[in-house]
Amino acid sequence: MQIASLTFVMIVLPVMLAVYYFLPNKIKQIGLVFSSFMLYGWGSPIRIIYPLAELVYDYGAGIFLEKYRKEKPISKGIIYFSVIIQIFAMIYFRNVIQEEKIFPFGIMIYTLQGLGYLFGVYRREHEAERNIFILGGYLLFFPSVFAGGLYAYPEFVQQNRNKHFTIISLSDGLSIFIRGLAEKVVLANTFGYIFQELQQIAPEEMSMLTAWLTTIIFSMYLYFELLGYSEMARGLGKCFGYDLPKNFRQPFFTSSITALMESWNITLVSWFDKYFRKGIFGNNSKKWVSYAGFIFMWVLIGAWYGMKKQFLLWGFFIGIILLAEKLFLEKNIRQKYIAGAVYTAIIPQFLWVLFFSENLTESVNYWKAMAGFGNGIFDRTGIYFLVSYIALILTGVYIATDLFRNILERLTISAYGQKLMMFLPLVHGGLLIFCLASMLYGEQIDYLWLRL
Amino acid sequence: MKKQCGLAYLTVIFLIVIYGVIMGGTVKNFQKAECSAITEENLKQNLGFHDKLFQLKSRTDLIIGEKMIQGVYITKERLLEKQFSETGGNAEKLNQFYEKYHIPVYLVLVPSATAIYESNLPANALNVNQEELIKSVYAGTGTGIRCIDAYAVLRSLKENYIYYRTDSHWTSYGAYHVYQSAIQKMGFTPVSYQKYVISHLSTEFRGNLYQKTLYDAVKPDVLDCYTNETGSKITEILAYDGEKVEKREELHDTEALKTENMYEFYLGKPCEKLIIRTDLDNDKKLLLYQDSYGDCMLPFLLQHYHEICVVNLEKMNCSEIHPEEYTQVMVLSSISTWQQVFS
Repeated sequence: MQIASLTFVMIVLPVMLAVYYFLPNKIKQIGLVFSSFMLYGWGSPIRIIYPLAELVYDYGAGIFLEKYRKEKPISKGIIYFSVIIQIFAMIYFRNVIQEEKIFPFGIMIYTLQGLGYLFGVYRREHEAERNIFILGGYLLFFPSVFAGGLYAYPEFVQQNRNKHFTIISLSDGLSIFIRGLAEKVVLANTFGYIFQELQQIAPEEMSMLTAWLTTIIFSMYLYFELLGYSEMARGLGKCFGYDLPKNFRQPFFTSSITALMESWNITLVSWFDKYFRKGIFGNNSKKWVSYAGFIFMWVLIGAWYGMKKQFLLWGFFIGIILLAEKLFLEKNIRQKYIAGAVYTAIIPQFLWVLFFSENLTESVNYWKAMAGFGNGIFDRTGIYFLVSYIALILTGVYIATDLFRNILERLTISAYGQKLMMFLPLVHGGLLIFCLASMLYGEQIDYLWLRL
Repeated sequence: MKKQCGLAYLTVIFLIVIYGVIMGGTVKNFQKAECSAITEENLKQNLGFHDKLFQLKSRTDLIIGEKMIQGVYITKERLLEKQFSETGGNAEKLNQFYEKYHIPVYLVLVPSATAIYESNLPANALNVNQEELIKSVYAGTGTGIRCIDAYAVLRSLKENYIYYRTDSHWTSYGAYHVYQSAIQKMGFTPVSYQKYVISHLSTEFRGNLYQKTLYDAVKPDVLDCYTNETGSKITEILAYDGEKVEKREELHDTEALKTENMYEFYLGKPCEKLIIRTDLDNDKKLLLYQDSYGDCMLPFLLQHYHEICVVNLEKMNCSEIHPEEYTQVMVLSSISTWQQVFS
């Protein structure tokens, strides 16, 4: 089920929260797992078979791993087998099932979370989970499956023990959820709609202005889409008593691409860093091996977004840039903030092209147009889009930077701001009404094209 | 958040949800029907204050700089549909049709108001050149197919009330002038404009473009009915829809004037095929393939034929047609329908 939909916001969520509130504490966890499965199978119950199998497998494998910890060959065998079979199944399902109705969405998220859990047991970082409902709650926790964000098992269990469900956590959670919803349905949907309009123009016919508008609008769309979903997830988590980490910060207007990528899909990058790079290449003393490992990790992160060549290439480029920044540019960038900011504003725009172009030829055509070798510097179409949407783009850019967040944060801390908090219910009420208006206004534009 | 604030917060959110769902009639629907009534589409339609919310969003977009609502350009004087596809639609099928039956075919492609009132569009707006499109289709027609240049006729009448301001169709006035030039080519003398009595059915007509955008700052339209008291009378109307055959008494459907789709007044509810016979005692029979643009032109054509068989272009493969029984064929279509059907 789509969580940025009227069905979820107006009917399913209120009912779920009410039921959860009145469930006795002992069976709240069961209720949560049950509702996660229910939402997952909404409309086509057949979909729950795969995650259910995954849950049962991880539960059993965890217990086995713990039992045979001392016998290295056996535990090693189990872990290798698990990795191979799960990665294979993930790639298979992701690429073979084309039909939207039965596509096991979120497959990347619960597969990687499950593997993370098994690695943890294997490395004796934590015990195997005996309560299948807690493990199920972790693997298929619906906010994360529906909205991205990989959470580490130890943190989750910690949260699970301390979770509390009060009026305050509920209203805090809802306020984060509503902000996330606004980021998705007000901003991302609008940018997505404009992007679709722009995509009807072939890149060969684009002027420099139009090509730049296309990538800028796409990057705003992608950012608000992913940010909106992960903020909704964080808010829902809080409603049910969990404090989930932030998945996105404000990546734009940083002074290096390293800083940009550090605030982009944070939980995903840290998963790959912890289990893949440090796990495989961490102990290697040869420098070039660790560099290669770093770049390879970014290629895999690219593959997370999709199995097309372009995504792999995107990861490859990002890996190289980050490595180069680490090795050569670190000092320079710190000294020259403005030069760094300009470079960080321009280079990633070229890379986002890889995200939305159908094939590499198309990417090259976009790049040509962006560099000014396309259909001139500007044209009527470009001017039309610029005039129509400049206010929206500036607003989006402003919200995407930390200037905006800083003002909000400073306001909430100050004494004056504390008084203003009285009006928060009204302000958010207005925001929710505007979200409803946006939801009934247009078609949903979905990030499911990423098939995560 | 403090506890009082939290409580106030929950109350506000709760009220909005309750109001949106219950007042909107979703619950009523739910009781009436079954669980499947809760679909996203249903919720959207039945949300409390649906129209107000829609306007809130669309007006905000317009203030920020957007120039259209749901694919319709908003201008001061009229709502103009954006034409999407730049290519598509050729005369191949029509040529094949002629080769098979050898009945003279008359093709009328009608541009939308967006082409005629291009100068009203926002500066630099994306717009498809419909004149070129029509020309390229006409250039592809073979022998036996005669093309009627509706674009030139309408273009020259630009200052007149030939298109509705809030609907995507042309007015009866626009249709009359294209009829005039078409019927001459088909070998008849057009009935003169003076012979018609024009009655205003409604001066508050808000058409399909209004329904789509709910933008009420454009003046509502006037819906006219043209009657020729001395002309031919209709003797029989048969409406075919699937297996059903229905006998209709009247060509016009006055009930439609009470609904949102006032334009349906001209030809009633859309069906696959209509056979209309008149008291004219000639052997002229017309096979008319048309989309809804034809609805208001049909009364003019009926002045010349003993029988007209009206086939809905979009559903033309559904019904059984015997072209060999007819003396002339006319294809009357808007560009968008043409592109859909003959792509």
